[in-house]
Amino acid sequence: MVEFSPEVVDSIIRIASFIAAGTALIAGVGPGIGMGYAAGKATTAVRRQPEARGVIITTMLLGQIISGSTGIYSLVIAIFLVFSV
Amino acid sequence: MNPGPKVIFHLFGQELLPVTDTLIVGWASVIIILILAKFLTVSLKLRPEGRQNIAEFMVELIYDQIEPMLPGEGWDFLPFIATIFIFIGVGNLVGLIPGVTSPTGDLNTTLGLALVVFLVSQYHGMKEFGIGGYLKGFAEPVIFLLPINIIGELAKPISHSFRLFGNVVGGGIIMTLIYQAAPALIPVPLHAWFGFFVGLIQALIFGMVAIAYISVAKS
Repeated sequence: MVEFSPEVVDSIIRIASFIAAGTALIAGVGPGIGMGYAAGKATTAVRRQPEARGVIITTMLLGQIISGSTGIYSLVIAIFLVFSV
Repeated sequence: MNPGPKVIFHLFGQELLPVTDTLIVGWASVIIILILAKFLTVSLKLRPEGRQNIAEFMVELIYDQIEPMLPGEGWDFLPFIATIFIFIGVGNLVGLIPGVTSPTGDLNTTLGLALVVFLVSQYHGMKEFGIGGYLKGFAEPVIFLLPINIIGELAKPISHSFRLFGNVVGGGIIMTLIYQAAPALIPVPLHAWFGFFVGLIQALIFGMVAIAYISVAKS
């Protein structure tokens, strides 16, 4: 059993939380794909029915907000990990 | 580099009542909004001219967002939604002034606003269906979904507040990093993006999600 001094333990915790913060941001991939897909579909819809532009954009934004939430969760977790150690 | 709110002083010398910089900027933006509202609505006329046009444009912009989602009740919800919209919009824009922290970059502000929206949506749901009928709505379509529905309902204010907080703080952190790498010229267009565009879009989105939550609770 190896005994570490408190400074070493502290820096290990620091390193671990920085790595964890970086890893948490992998979650940004999913919302990016989802929001891009919604925007692409909305573009098609606007081309098909240009007069319904306002409704389409509102619906697209709402859907993107919901799918973007997971990305924001990971960002908030990463911020807490970086700044709380 | 700590993005959280900084405690300036304690109210009445109590440890339990800290006054942070975001709180002061928040109250300052409330005063700015009051002065603007007073200034824009001086001497209203039936035929609008000058500054009355700006006021009518803002009212109609927000009304047009509410009316499709809550048909026939646009004017009833306008004061509430417009308050949220204008407060968050001004709160995000004052963050553009150097040395001023945006009040929306504080989880206390956004969680407070999201909880108000949560309570309002619960109230309107209960008013629409009665308390028993509203609570029964959680056990539909089958009773097994009750815990999932309750967790889904409680997740709403959390995601609502974290979205605004994460966007504002994330933009602020990126700006701080860019200022350390390139202090001249390069941050200017990024300020226009993170401060101006994202700030206004987030205010619109916060208001729209509030309308959506209320309309979901009422249907």
